[in-house]
Amino acid sequence: MGFLDNSGDIILDVVLTDLGRKMLAKGDGSFNVTKFAVGDDEINYQLYNTNHPSGSSYYDLEILQTPILEAFTDNAGSLKSKLLTMENQDLLFLPSLVLNQATGITKMDVSGAFFVCVDRNTEDNSAQGLTTSVGFNADGLLRTGFILGESLGSGAETSNYVRVDQGLNTTQVSPRQNLSPSLVETDYMLQIDNRLGSIISKDGVTKAVPDYVDDDNIAYYSLSLGTDQVFVKQNTSTEVSVDQAINGPRGTILEFSIGASLELNTSTYLFTQLGSTTTLENAGGTGTTTKFIDSIIKCTGMTTGYTLDIPLRFIKI
Amino acid sequence: MANIFKQIKPDDRVSTRTLLHEAIPLTGTIVQGTYGTFPNEENIKNYGHGMFQSVYDYPYLSSSANHIFDLSVGYANQSPLSSTVLSTHIQQSKKVNMYNEMAQVAVGYNITGGILQFDEDGDILAGGNKIQSGYFINLTRLLMKDEIKKGSFALTLGLEAAYATSNETKAIIKDFGGVNDYRVNSPLGEYGLLYATASVDDNALIDETTDQFNSTYKASVCGLIYYQAGIVVLSGSLFNDLAVGGLLKNSAGSCVMSTAAGAAAARTISEALTGSSISSSADNLRHRFDNLQFNNTVELNSTIYFCRMNHNEFNYSGNPTYLSSSQIRVKQVSTDQPVSYVTTVGLYSENNELLAVGKLSEPLKKTPANEFTIRTRLDY
Repeated sequence: MGFLDNSGDIILDVVLTDLGRKMLAKGDGSFNVTKFAVGDDEINYQLYNTNHPSGSSYYDLEILQTPILEAFTDNAGSLKSKLLTMENQDLLFLPSLVLNQATGITKMDVSGAFFVCVDRNTEDNSAQGLTTSVGFNADGLLRTGFILGESLGSGAETSNYVRVDQGLNTTQVSPRQNLSPSLVETDYMLQIDNRLGSIISKDGVTKAVPDYVDDDNIAYYSLSLGTDQVFVKQNTSTEVSVDQAINGPRGTILEFSIGASLELNTSTYLFTQLGSTTTLENAGGTGTTTKFIDSIIKCTGMTTGYTLDIPLRFIKI
Repeated sequence: MANIFKQIKPDDRVSTRTLLHEAIPLTGTIVQGTYGTFPNEENIKNYGHGMFQSVYDYPYLSSSANHIFDLSVGYANQSPLSSTVLSTHIQQSKKVNMYNEMAQVAVGYNITGGILQFDEDGDILAGGNKIQSGYFINLTRLLMKDEIKKGSFALTLGLEAAYATSNETKAIIKDFGGVNDYRVNSPLGEYGLLYATASVDDNALIDETTDQFNSTYKASVCGLIYYQAGIVVLSGSLFNDLAVGGLLKNSAGSCVMSTAAGAAAARTISEALTGSSISSSADNLRHRFDNLQFNNTVELNSTIYFCRMNHNEFNYSGNPTYLSSSQIRVKQVSTDQPVSYVTTVGLYSENNELLAVGKLSEPLKKTPANEFTIRTRLDY
């Protein structure tokens, strides 16, 4: 996409997204605009310079010169960060989403991603007398950051999972302070490539149902406090604790695991198309050549608009 | 309560209809001579079936070529040109078929199912003169879009009698008064009458007294134009002298439409229509084609969404760079005004599906001290 001409009047470049065109083509009335949001995807607020020597009029000089890209037709690629309406204009802190890696069971792999084993052979093939699986180490312990994408951690094994904490991540405000109800995130939206995986509860029992899957195979899941209790719960901890990711007042916790798609589970086609290979340490302490696909889960707070991208690597030996 | 969406109320939405017009100029150089030697230019496509000829704006084998119009000829079964002595006529059945096809689509049928002929003044019930033979110019949708703007059509043809110097005397074929004077009794939509006048020689056409259009020219109807269909029907009489029932009062007589290959004999429109193939007849018209211009029309249906950002709305951001350790970067103390910058507006469905995206060409600074209304228009 090019940049928009910003040399004259302010113009607005509007396009239907690919999803919008698809819904329009359905002709069933599903194309119905009911609300709007505004975003600031290109803005880097780190450029807001409150120490500018020329005064406050120059604080945002660089921000206002930001070139704006033309509109994307990909619905998943636009409006990643949205502006927010708050009743209180005197807020100094806003809540954010933080990936909780305080405990071993919610930590990412040291390489910086969660590894999802897409079949049992990749998780653990010791039952077949093999040691080439990569889900468990030589001591039979589940590797940190590895998620059991087929067995889902149900039964005897406990899988790792993803935990996202919400709240004011600052040491300037005590966690004993209550987070204002208007800042508590109650609704989350998760986006994941539907060809690769799906959202499962951390105990592997409950499968979340996507609201819809768009034309780019991105599945959208809405999870809410109260209605999806196995996924979203109130963070009642008010103590400074090593297992908390939020240093200040806490809102809610989002917990989930990843199930591998049937296609990844049964076929190597997508690995060939989208992925590559690497060598991972196996249960025998040696290396196993492993196919992988890198992806992300996008986690958005639908009340506070904060977005967190969580890296995933789907693996298959 | 924090919120990232704002509902669009009924008052924030309005539907409009706009007619957009583009001027379409087609010079004679596109139609003949530029992409090869007349009549075998590379932008002219003739078909094996020989029913019509296509004109492109560039050699048609190129992917850059645009199809601009088709030419064909035809005459009615009832026309004096129609003959039972088929050996003297070339492609007669195809020409009759072509006329009938155009007539049944554009004029329709009588109550017994017979195909009506093109009526010179559009008053079918009154009978009157019929256009029984002539040229069909079918403009492509690429050019005419939804319809030809009424009153904008002007076709300049060379009507000098001599073939070699055909463009020395030109006539303009125009839908004079088409804005307010058109017919609606065609199954193909609205159509107007085409009148001819001279662009140079005042005496070239019958009933002509000045270069200005006036009611006098009502007598010199030389064709019909179907605005929504983009079809022009040109009467063969346009090329015939008054003495033989045509419109020309050119002292040199009727137009010589072609010279028979390998023969010295010149051909009038009647002779050319009967004795030449359809593609050769199309070549004959292209030879006399000087200029064509009209305005097309695009009917634009729009829905406008007024995205209103009040002073106390959208002043914070969910942008990851907006916070530093959860503290808002653009504030030093809590009483500082919150500031955000708008670059994008998204229109959503009830299920939070992003249906349309708009981008501003530069960031808008949003604070509690200002308000914006972003007018977002979706055209269909």
